Amino acid sequence: MDKLKVMSYLIFIISLAGIIYALLFSPPNWIVYAISIIFIPTGILSLGLIVMKRGPEEDEEDKNREPFIGY
Amino acid sequence: MIILNLMANILLNVLIAFLVGSVLFGLQRKIMARIQMRPGPPVIQHLLHTLKFFIKESSFPKTAAMPFYIAITAMLCFIWVAAVIVGPVTGGSLLLIFAVYAIHKIVEHNAGSSSGSPYGKLSCVRAVFSAAAEVPLFAVLIIIYFATGTMNLDQIVSFQATHGPLIYSIPLAAIMFFVLLLSKAPYSPFAITKGKDIISGYETEHFGVLRGYLMISESIAWYMLLWVFLTVFIGGLSPLWYLVGMVILSSIVAFINATTPILNPNHSIMAQVSLAIIGIVGSFAILLY
Repeated sequence: MDKLKVMSYLIFIISLAGIIYALLFSPPNWIVYAISIIFIPTGILSLGLIVMKRGPEEDEEDKNREPFIGY
Repeated sequence: MIILNLMANILLNVLIAFLVGSVLFGLQRKIMARIQMRPGPPVIQHLLHTLKFFIKESSFPKTAAMPFYIAITAMLCFIWVAAVIVGPVTGGSLLLIFAVYAIHKIVEHNAGSSSGSPYGKLSCVRAVFSAAAEVPLFAVLIIIYFATGTMNLDQIVSFQATHGPLIYSIPLAAIMFFVLLLSKAPYSPFAITKGKDIISGYETEHFGVLRGYLMISESIAWYMLLWVFLTVFIGGLSPLWYLVGMVILSSIVAFINATTPILNPNHSIMAQVSLAIIGIVGSFAILLY
């Protein structure tokens, strides 16, 4: 598993834990705001990075080749 | 009646904002297509696209400035989730919504520059250019403050309950805000940061999962801008009337978008600045006399 996947799983678990904590224990409002603003977006992003399809390894070189960027 | 705790309330509002925003974008495309004598995609197509992008094959361009290239997409989501909290959840200050909008312009700028694509970079320049016109349009806040004496959304709603909707007393301010709404709609005459001459603008190199993620935030943004318009200029509505209002506003926007080309950046900025000047001066004249 590559670094991106490991990071994504880690962030997803932390985000989910934060949201569940706020749902179950109703902490002070400012903590709930902070959890919502940070963990809802990171939760969605990390889930996306986990479920996204990766291309075959052998195509990786073609994709990373420096494209013509116009200057 | 079910009483939700704060976190559940926020989650529910974010989910509603995403779903309603996505469907309204789909509706907009459908109406535009019908006006242009095309069948158009199904109304739920925007929503399906958003979800589809999450499972599409994704890769990151070598020219992208990592991790900024990914982090900037999260920034867009942070700010619009914050807007949902400030708006429907707590009825907070309009100034915070203004801050969110200003950061949205910065995100457009940085998403373009972080991708390394020339299209993105051109869009990044246009984002700064358009901010110069859209931020004065947000001067509508000053007019609202002078009319109501508050920036707090709940207090503005209470003010309208006793004095009638603000759309009647400061109509030019409502038009200014509507132009701002229009600027954020896809295919709008003012959508210079996503003009088709620069492919998809700052989103050109954000494809696959990151595009889906951006689309989630944009749907929430659309819902929120409509929500703010209806709350500030019409007053507190029931959920059903909010929905009706949003459908009407999205339909008007779709009609304008279908019948106008995307303006070139100079014309777009000049049109917006002209409207802002007319709106500000005219509104003060109405308030004074």
